[in-house]
Formats: sequence, C-alpha cells, structure tokens
Amino acid sequence: MTRAVACVGFGLIAAGAAVFLWKAALLGTPLQPSESRNLWRVEIELSVRGSEPRSSVAALLPASDHAQTIFDERIGSDGLAFGIRTERGTSQRVGVWRGALQGIRHPSYAFRVQLHPEADPGSPASELPPDALREAAADLPVGAEPVRELLESLDVSLADDALARTRTLFAFVSDELEAAEDGSDDALLVLAGREGSQQGRARLLVTLLRSAAVPARTAMGLSLEAPRDARELVFAEAWADGRWVPLFPTLGTMGTRPADLVVLQRGNGSVVEAHGVEAVSHRYRVLRERLRPDELSALMVPSSPLLGALSLYRLPVRTQATLRILLVIPLAALVVALFRNIVGLRTFGTFMPILIALALRDTALSTGLAMVAGVLLTGLAGRLVLDRLHLLLVPRLCVLLCLVILVVVALAIAGYGFETRDLLTGVLLPIVIFTMLIERFSIVAAEEGYRSALLLLLNSLLVAAFAYPIFHSIFAAHLMLGYPELVLCVMGLLVMIGGYTGYRLAELVRFRSLAADGVGHAP
Amino acid sequence: MRIVRALRRAGILGINERNHTYMLRWNRRERYPNVDDKLRTKQICARAGIPTAGVLGVARVHAEIRELVDALDAHASFVLKPAHGAMGNGILVVHGRDGPRFVRSGGTALDREAIAYHAASIVSGLFALGGQPDAAFAEERLEVHPELSQIATEGVPDVRIVVFRGIPVMAMTRLPTRRARGRANLHQGAVGAGIDLETGRTLHAVLAGRPVRLHPDTQEDVVGRRIPDFDVALEIAVRAADATGLGYVGADVVVDASRGPLILELNARPGLAIQVANRAGLLPRLEAAQAHWAPDAPLQTRLARGRAIARSAA
Repeated sequence: MTRAVACVGFGLIAAGAAVFLWKAALLGTPLQPSESRNLWRVEIELSVRGSEPRSSVAALLPASDHAQTIFDERIGSDGLAFGIRTERGTSQRVGVWRGALQGIRHPSYAFRVQLHPEADPGSPASELPPDALREAAADLPVGAEPVRELLESLDVSLADDALARTRTLFAFVSDELEAAEDGSDDALLVLAGREGSQQGRARLLVTLLRSAAVPARTAMGLSLEAPRDARELVFAEAWADGRWVPLFPTLGTMGTRPADLVVLQRGNGSVVEAHGVEAVSHRYRVLRERLRPDELSALMVPSSPLLGALSLYRLPVRTQATLRILLVIPLAALVVALFRNIVGLRTFGTFMPILIALALRDTALSTGLAMVAGVLLTGLAGRLVLDRLHLLLVPRLCVLLCLVILVVVALAIAGYGFETRDLLTGVLLPIVIFTMLIERFSIVAAEEGYRSALLLLLNSLLVAAFAYPIFHSIFAAHLMLGYPELVLCVMGLLVMIGGYTGYRLAELVRFRSLAADGVGHAP
Repeated sequence: MRIVRALRRAGILGINERNHTYMLRWNRRERYPNVDDKLRTKQICARAGIPTAGVLGVARVHAEIRELVDALDAHASFVLKPAHGAMGNGILVVHGRDGPRFVRSGGTALDREAIAYHAASIVSGLFALGGQPDAAFAEERLEVHPELSQIATEGVPDVRIVVFRGIPVMAMTRLPTRRARGRANLHQGAVGAGIDLETGRTLHAVLAGRPVRLHPDTQEDVVGRRIPDFDVALEIAVRAADATGLGYVGADVVVDASRGPLILELNARPGLAIQVANRAGLLPRLEAAQAHWAPDAPLQTRLARGRAIARSAA
C-alpha cells in the first residue's frame, strides 16, 4: 500500500468517524442499540384446515389509541383473498380471509406497535358510549336475580359516582373470586362457584357493572412479555368520569394498562372466527424491536437545526425505505471487495453477489437459496432447449426471462413461502437477476465446463450469504440512515483494500508448490 | 504467514500486485483497445511489419454474417473468433469439411446455419468482455510445427511471452491436450511448460498445477524440448508490445509449420500461471527489468537484457 493510498484511506475513515462521533455526541444516542421496552412486532398466525369452496376466517385487528400506536401492518394471505371490515356500531376492525380451502392454509397478520403506557388518556370524550353497552347480552345476564342480590349485599348505591361503584365491584371480583384456568366462562356460574376463568370473571365484572348502571365491555389484549402460551389477557373496561377505565381482575389492578399490553379487541366475540372450515387455530409471535423509540425520534428530530436539515429521517417514508436499502449496499460492497481481493474468490461479475443478496432480502436465506437453485435449474434446462433453436441473443434472453417468471408464478401457486406483497417487492428484482445469473452460468458452463460454472455459482452464493445478513439487519439500516457519513468510512476501507498488493488467500493455495520448494531465490 | 514469506522470497507475483503495480501503472487505459480488439491488434502489427495469422473474413454487424459464411465456404479449415473475446471464449475451430458441412475439432459436424448462429452470438456480444456488440472474424487455421506435433493433441500450441517495458522477462509454451479439447488454456487442462529464454528449451512443465514430465495423451517428454524459432518468437513479441504502447503485456505467439512465428494475440492482463510453469517468480525479473530500463535501447540489446535477467534469476 502506498503512502498516498494509506493517507486517502485513513483520511476518509477519519472524516467519516469524526462526523459520526460528533453527531452521536450531539444527538446523545448510544451507538449500541439498546433493548426497547415499548416497541414490538407482533404476528398472529392462523392455521385453517378445510375443503369447502367458500370459506372464511376472520380475526380481530388492533387499533391505535392513546396508549398504543399500530403501524407497519402486513397481511399474509396465503392464497386467500383478504379484506378489512369494521364491525357495526363499534370501531373494531376485523380482517377477513376468504377463498377455497384445500388442505391447510396459514394466513397471517403482523404489525408493529409502539406502546405508551404512561400516556394520558386525554380529555374526556364528549360522546357517550352506545346504549348497547348498558344492556344485557347473550353472555352478560344483566339484572339477573343473583346479580341483583349481590349488588344489594355489596351496598352499591346509584347515589355514588360511577367510579366509586366501579371500584367496589372490581374489588369484589378480583378479591373474592378465585381464578382458575379451567374455571367456568359463564358469569352466573362464576358467581355461584366463586371461581372462574379469565373470561368468566371479566364477563361477571361487566355484568355487575352494567347492572349497576355503569356502561362496560369486555376486552382482550396480549401481554407481550408473558410466556408464549399465557399471552391473551381478558379484561373489562368501565365508562366512568367520561372515560374508559380498564379493569384487570387477573392482575388485580385497575386504571392503567400494564406496560406490555397491546389491546386487540373490545366487546364480545372471539379473536378468530371461521365459517366453512374444519379446524382453525391461531398463535402469536412476538418480537421485541431492537431500536429504542427515543433513538428513532432523536434521529428524526435532532436538536441542532443543521442536523435537522440533513437528517434523512425527515424524508418521506417511501424515500427512506429506498435509502434504507441503498445505504447498506456499500457495506455489502465491502464484503464483496474483501472476498474478491483479499480472499480471492472468483464470482459471477463484481456485483452479482450483492444482487443475489438483495434478491433474497425478503425471503429466509435457506428458502431463498433453494429458490435460486430451483429457478436456476429450470432456466438452465430452458437454455439447453433454446440452444438448439439458434436464437439471437436478446430474444433468447427475453424468452429465458419469461421462463423464469413462469417458474416464479408456479412457486407462488405452490405456496412456496412468499406472499402477494413479496411477489411485488421481493420478486420483481430477483427475476431479472436470476435471468442474468442463468445466462452467465450457461456461458461459463459452455466455455469452461460445468465444474467451473458450479464453482463460480457456489462462490457467488457464498459471498451473497455473507452479504445477506447486512440487508436483513434492522440495526445496519437504521445506523446507515441515521449516520450516512459512515459511507465515508466504508469508502476509506475500500480505498485501503484497493491499495493492498499482498497475496490473496486463494493464491497461497494456488502457488503453494512454489513456496514449498523455495524456487527462484531473488538475486 | 510462513507461506506468505516463502512466496515473497520466491518472488511470486500476486494478482493484486500485478493489477496495482504493473497493469494500472504501465498499461494506460486508452491503449487497452489496441489489444482487446484482436482485429485492431492485427492492423497495428501489420503496420509495424509483424506477421500475424491471416484473416479470412469479418462480420461487424448481423447483415455481414451471410457474406462471412459464404466466404468461409471456400476454406477447408478456419477459426471463428470474437474480436473482443477473453480467455479463449467463443472460439470455434473448424478442421475440415464433410461435403457442405463443417467439421469441428473433436469431430462434430456443423451446417452453415450453425456457423452463422455462432457468428451471430459473437456479433451480439455474448463473448465480449462487457457484453457490448462485437465483431466476428475468421482466421486461417495455423498448423502445428512438426517439431511440436508429438506434444500437442487436437490443437495448436502457443508461446506466451511476458514483456515488461520492452524487455522480455518470462516465457512458457501451452500444449493442448485432449482433456482441454484442443485448447491452449492451462485452467482447462492444457500442459504449461516454462521456457529458458536463452536456449528456447522447455525447463519444467505443469498440468493442472502439478509438475509433469510427459504429455498426458502422447506420453512424450515435454521437458527439454526446443521451441523452433524461439529467438524470432521473442523478437516479434517485443516488437508487438512496443507497437501497442503497453508496458506490461502477455504476447501469444504461434510457431506455424509453414510461416514460422506469428503473433496470435496480445493480452494486457496476462495471467500468473506462467510462474507455476517456470517454477519461478516474476517479481525479481520485473524489478531487474525496471532497474535496467533504457527507453531508447535497440531491440537486440533489450532481448539480450531479458535473457540476462532470466539467467541471473534462475
């Protein structure tokens, strides 16, 4: 490495690092992403089995309110048609998947949620709850004999304010009734037996509240920090002092939501309902997000006006999404440069490994690589046939492109792991990339033999596998978006790799026979 | 680390250093077309009076392909090549005729359509370095020199000479084998043999990276063979390198049975396998050539200097 190269390389690294450190200090955000307490990613995965031509499965979807912000919702339709409707008279959203069932399907619904457990519920709502929330319902025997007797014995008087009545009834349900996992779901049975399930105790509480002229409803949420199979939390909400007061008989608390609770559903009904299916089940996947919301907001709204003007987080979300990918490409390029110039692996073209990694960005690595293999094999078979027809280059490539598209369509029909959304974002680019890959592979195969071509393909996939985690890392994307000056550091490293004149690792193997017998001593 | 030190001591040139210290420094970008376009190389050589393999026909656009194939009908044998090909890609060798059909090396017969298709692939840029539109041309097929016929099967051997700043520093001959399907490409299974610049005799030979003494097909000794007219080969290699204005060149010379040494093509990115074939590193020779560089030295002085450098490095 010459002095000039070292100077430029170190200069770029130092410049990038200086801006980075200055910004990091000014923004006051830790460089290491810390565990977030309030930002989560939740996925509800349904499993539906059936053989009906017309079946539907519905799941209750969460909505944003003062204590939770739902964003980045994604639907996995798994071949079914998806739509969202709002239940009459409430704001509860319901996601409905419809279509012909043949065997098992796994539609899913995922979202990110930002919880604000300390948030103020805001000013009292002017709108009163609908009358339906004061009346009896199928599961809520409002005004039944045992209920009235209990209200009398508890000395609940309509002269007290609603909050006082609510407190008394909540205290009774959470203190006097045993919680039992296999207890009854029926309000009256719970009252009679003095023990009940989550559902049963919540129903009883709502029944008691309505009987005492407090509008109330049941609700269901997910305790995100709870163990896997104890996530669903059924609770009640009472209308008092012009706002909804949450009541958690299971936890023994009222007034504020637990910090890790996301509310999925309000009112009666089960989370998942299905028609025309043989069996349906659901499960939740919960993932803590890596980046803290305050880190995000510090990046979005920096204290210094200069930084504010330069912050990429102020750009429209769509532009950000593009920049998120663009800005990590230098990191992937660094990986490729390392593998090619320091390790000495031959690959298909310089950027093919980056493109492959980019193509696999939206799929799991193993599925992605299997997909590459499948598409490549079919494409090669097609190429063999096309070779016999003696077509001109460009139309031949286009025929190959069509073939690859057909394979992708076939994979989609077979339900090979990608959804409609992925088809649009994740597969358009790969189609072009795979076609180029097939063409390159077949040329090398024809000219240097299949061994050579396979070796190049394996090398390309290996480098792509190393670049893949970079494209998948939320941290890398956030870091590069927040601190784009790090590209200067990458450039510095690339300059230094460019000035490296030492042996490549592969050459140590290639020339090892010459090293072993120490031939050609320098004069 | 131990291997790195041993390779350094042996003066082995690595790809990074070749690219950085020799190619980037001594081969100016705008001169690359002089060697990347083989037709242009031929023109440059013709102007300098350096013999090259004769051209039988050229197709620069698709419309000229028919004409090219018509012209080839008159020839029993020829080699169809892309003007911008790399590493021997896209080369079609026709050995003889079977009525209207063309017989490839290896025995498969092709009709006119197949020849035209191959030419069209070339013109479309399938084998060109950057995929840009290319020219297809047919070259006369050269004959193996009788002195080398025992150690070359199915193809024509060539001599690769590395010329650095007008001084020849290292040479090897590449002997085609059946496994390489008649091609003189080491990574496809041809035998590479290092050549003593003074005597023109082969010193060592390698096949697929391993030392060998015998040709795998004929079982003839490949070490100690004299390359016919090696002095002339060395001379035209240096003159061709001079004519292209490139400082670091690999010249490929074929010793034709009737015409003697001819320039086949020149390479601005010559490979490093020549070191394995010679069991010697390029670095000490390149450094010595650099130290003794005299820009206006006459050709014979530079040839003598190259031989002296090779001798003292051995």
